[in-house]
Amino acid sequence: MNFDWLFLFEISLAGIGTGGLYALTGLCFVLIYKATRVVNLAIGEMLMIGAYVFFAFAAGMALPIWLAILGAVIAGGLLGALVERTMIRPMLGESPISVFMVTVGLASILVGLVELVWGANPQRLPEFLPDDPVMIGEAFIASKVFYGFLVAALLVAAVLLIFRFWRGGIALRATASDQAAAYSMGINVPRVFSLSWTFAGALAAVAGIVVGAIGGISPVMGVFGLSVLVVVIFGGLDSVLGALIGGLFIGLVEAWASAYLGGEYELLVTFILLVLILMVRPYGLFGTAEIERL
Amino acid sequence: MRIGTAPQTYAADQALFDTRTQWTWLALLGLLLVAFPFLVNEYWLYMACLVAINVASATGLNILTGYTGLVSLGQAAFMGMGAYTVAALEARFGTPALLNLVAAGVVAMAGGAIVGIPSLRVKGLYLAIATIAASFIAHFVFANWTAVTGGTAGLSVPPARFFGVALDTSFRIYWLILPLTVLMVAGAANLFRTRIGRAFIAIRDRDISADVLGIPLLRYKLLSFGLSSFYAGVAGGLWAYFFRVVTPESFPLLMSIFFLAAIIVGGMGTILGSILGAIFMTLVPELLKFVVDWLPFENATVALSPVRTMVFGALIVGFLIFEPHGLAEIWRRIRRFFHLYPFRT
Amino acid sequence: MIISKSRRATLGALMATACLALAGGAAQAQDKDIVIGGSIPMSGVFAFAGLGIHDGIQDYVKIVNDAGGIDGRKLRYVPEDTGYKVDASVAAFKKITSQNEVNLYYGDSTGFAKTINSELDRMGTILMAGASFASEINDPEKFPHQFLVGPDYTEMFGILLRYIADEKPGAKVAFVYSDTEFGRDPIESSRELAKSLGLSVSGEIMTPPGSVDVSTEVIKLRRAAPDYTIFHGYVLAPIPEFIIQGRKMGMKSHWMGTFWTMDNSMVMKMGEAAEGFMGVMPFRYYYETEGDVPMLEKIREMRPEYQSTAYTQGFLTTMLFTEAVKRTLAAGKELNGDNLKAALNSIENFDTGGIIGVPISIKGNSIPVGRIYRADLEQQKMLPASDWISLDQ
Repeated sequence: MNFDWLFLFEISLAGIGTGGLYALTGLCFVLIYKATRVVNLAIGEMLMIGAYVFFAFAAGMALPIWLAILGAVIAGGLLGALVERTMIRPMLGESPISVFMVTVGLASILVGLVELVWGANPQRLPEFLPDDPVMIGEAFIASKVFYGFLVAALLVAAVLLIFRFWRGGIALRATASDQAAAYSMGINVPRVFSLSWTFAGALAAVAGIVVGAIGGISPVMGVFGLSVLVVVIFGGLDSVLGALIGGLFIGLVEAWASAYLGGEYELLVTFILLVLILMVRPYGLFGTAEIERL
Repeated sequence: MRIGTAPQTYAADQALFDTRTQWTWLALLGLLLVAFPFLVNEYWLYMACLVAINVASATGLNILTGYTGLVSLGQAAFMGMGAYTVAALEARFGTPALLNLVAAGVVAMAGGAIVGIPSLRVKGLYLAIATIAASFIAHFVFANWTAVTGGTAGLSVPPARFFGVALDTSFRIYWLILPLTVLMVAGAANLFRTRIGRAFIAIRDRDISADVLGIPLLRYKLLSFGLSSFYAGVAGGLWAYFFRVVTPESFPLLMSIFFLAAIIVGGMGTILGSILGAIFMTLVPELLKFVVDWLPFENATVALSPVRTMVFGALIVGFLIFEPHGLAEIWRRIRRFFHLYPFRT
Repeated sequence: MIISKSRRATLGALMATACLALAGGAAQAQDKDIVIGGSIPMSGVFAFAGLGIHDGIQDYVKIVNDAGGIDGRKLRYVPEDTGYKVDASVAAFKKITSQNEVNLYYGDSTGFAKTINSELDRMGTILMAGASFASEINDPEKFPHQFLVGPDYTEMFGILLRYIADEKPGAKVAFVYSDTEFGRDPIESSRELAKSLGLSVSGEIMTPPGSVDVSTEVIKLRRAAPDYTIFHGYVLAPIPEFIIQGRKMGMKSHWMGTFWTMDNSMVMKMGEAAEGFMGVMPFRYYYETEGDVPMLEKIREMRPEYQSTAYTQGFLTTMLFTEAVKRTLAAGKELNGDNLKAALNSIENFDTGGIIGVPISIKGNSIPVGRIYRADLEQQKMLPASDWISLDQ
């Protein structure tokens, strides 16, 4: 059988590239869940805000690219902090479903805001990534995908290290596993909450810039968040490593499905996978299993 | 001021409406609903039919999410199943409208039972995410099972025929939609006077205790899914007869979010909540349009759609933070004020 | 003070009456004006087109009214914003038709056109056109009171494929389209047409709506190695990505698109990727001056800035509406759906004042005319690359 190995290799590389982006977005999601136990369905929209702020700085105000990125990151962080203070803090102690619905409402608000300020037309970000396609052996990868993956990999590695070695990271993990114990140890739990949302917001801004650079920006780009949901369920809602592996895996699977079955099967395969995971191993590969069986 | 009502039998205690005043108001409401189509124009009739369909679907969702505590983001998918059933039956067999609607409910019920199976394994948020997945899978089937569903072009539905009369205007189809909705709402209200309803509430409050008390969890959870999707299926069938075109794009995830928002805003776990929530969420965009028309800004209309989206989101967030029991609670407070007047509590 | 039961009942009855009065009081006086109703997507994903269409209709109505109207009767345009959502469009339709006597209507989407069709037939008083170019609507039996202002998507593909067959017989063609009704519409029949023209369809790639990364699809497209790639079902994204990545990976394909991707401002937004982008456009662009173009000059007088192709579409729709009304009134017939449609179909060798380059006839439900344009980055304009092709010849 004359199997086209090169094709498979190229597709897989493209899939891993997308997977890197999924991993980065999954990382933001996991950060929030780990610290505050909130499933943030508005993560795609937070990405969108980061991308649009970058657009506003770079294209609208013609600032140099690095400054625009910095601005977007700060804006993302501020957004995260603001959301945490106004919408998540008052919901402390409510059922997780209520908080989930709050994030759904937040997503709508953000989409409406973007549409109001920038209009509903899709836009393209100014080019700032190097242009030539990257070659690995005989296989092509689009340059943006390659650099996007690099950025994602670097950030994920950085976050993993931070969680391991920095006090703040350890505080975050402590709060995640037992709020009461963390309080009694003198950890300022509300500040940890704010910190995690701020950090996640800033990271989401970077992810948004990369995603926007690849596919353009529009008020509906938040649907990216739905695919990320599958990633974090697969990897475990509170596992950073899980987000990484899950992201790469789902990216690969989507690429293979799209290549060999056809574009319309891409989302279907992802969601069937989701149902299977939920049935077989609901807490994901690396998530902590909450002992509550029926 | 209302002095104590002292029921003397179990039936009297369980009654939905117990005082003469309540029955009078109910009769007035009934009269109003019957007189309504003769008094208003086409546009308001259209809105009324739409509201009624949404009330039916929201009531179904409330059974599942408000009373049984199983969060579902798949309501639109079940409505879609019902709508496609009606469309396919009309296209192939031309069976009578009521039969089609019942079939729509049954097909959606089957779908609901299947989607409910993961509820044995997962709960809460994970179940909600599973229903999102079900929603996408259903959308895929709608768009690609071309033989039955007509693919992305969808199906067009001839008007419902009732004793030879084609229900093709909003005025006529009102007489099909409204009685069915009233029936379904009454059914749901009565459901919670039976042991099935009480079992649902027990599952919501603490399912492990319910299991200990002898309520078979899987059976009742599946029943809840089934009932709620039956409601959605019938509502979807009515939707098909009302809009007369069914396409895969007609039932997006956003619609499920709309219904969830409707019961949150209205009040989860109360029948009145589904009614108020559905009415409110359906009429708010129209109200916004009036407000925008009235504003003096030149380009206000351009801002309408994003403002609508923002208001939608803000309503959800606002009600969850400030009034988690929804409009029904506000209504109860007003009623209590009138009941206890001149006392305050 | 205790409010007695009877007082409370009276209060309740009063409030109920007040509500009824508010709700029922929307009846409007009838006018001699000829009303054009519109479900226009002035916000939402199609807003750029909706705003253009809105301006186009308004401008032509102004031209007609300034010239004294039709038989002394003025045109009145009553639009509602729909955000490109079908239920909002239907609600707008109901609202406008309940408050005015409407004879002409502009609909914002294929979904709306299909949904409202049976209502149109039942009412029988309205002739409708819209922003849709769906092949399904190009069926005078099923959609007797509607028409398309241009070629339908299958006819657009037909024009493109004929051009390709002339330029390069036996060429390889690839279709890249979106997984929506809009995208899938012309694909199947175009596949057949391509074969009959001696072209081979080397690839059909469908992208999920809202997909961010198309690298996988580009890889597939590269494998298909087409000479011409036709995009359909998009407004802007992901076409630039395909073109940029494809070019960088060494693809030698020509890139083409259909109506909604061909607006000048949209194409120029693609940046470098736009160079050489081609497609079919049934109307002249705003800035064109060659040929006999009195209407274009009038438009340039009224609007000094660039107007999009959506504007032209709305403008032309109103022109055709006006012509149908004129002919119906001249024949002494009443203004209803059937008569207006018959009048429309009687249009033969009609001069659109330069908007369409050849005189047009509307035999069925569409105007199957167009020509190929190519993007010229230096001039930042779409320039004609072929003669006017008419499919009914």
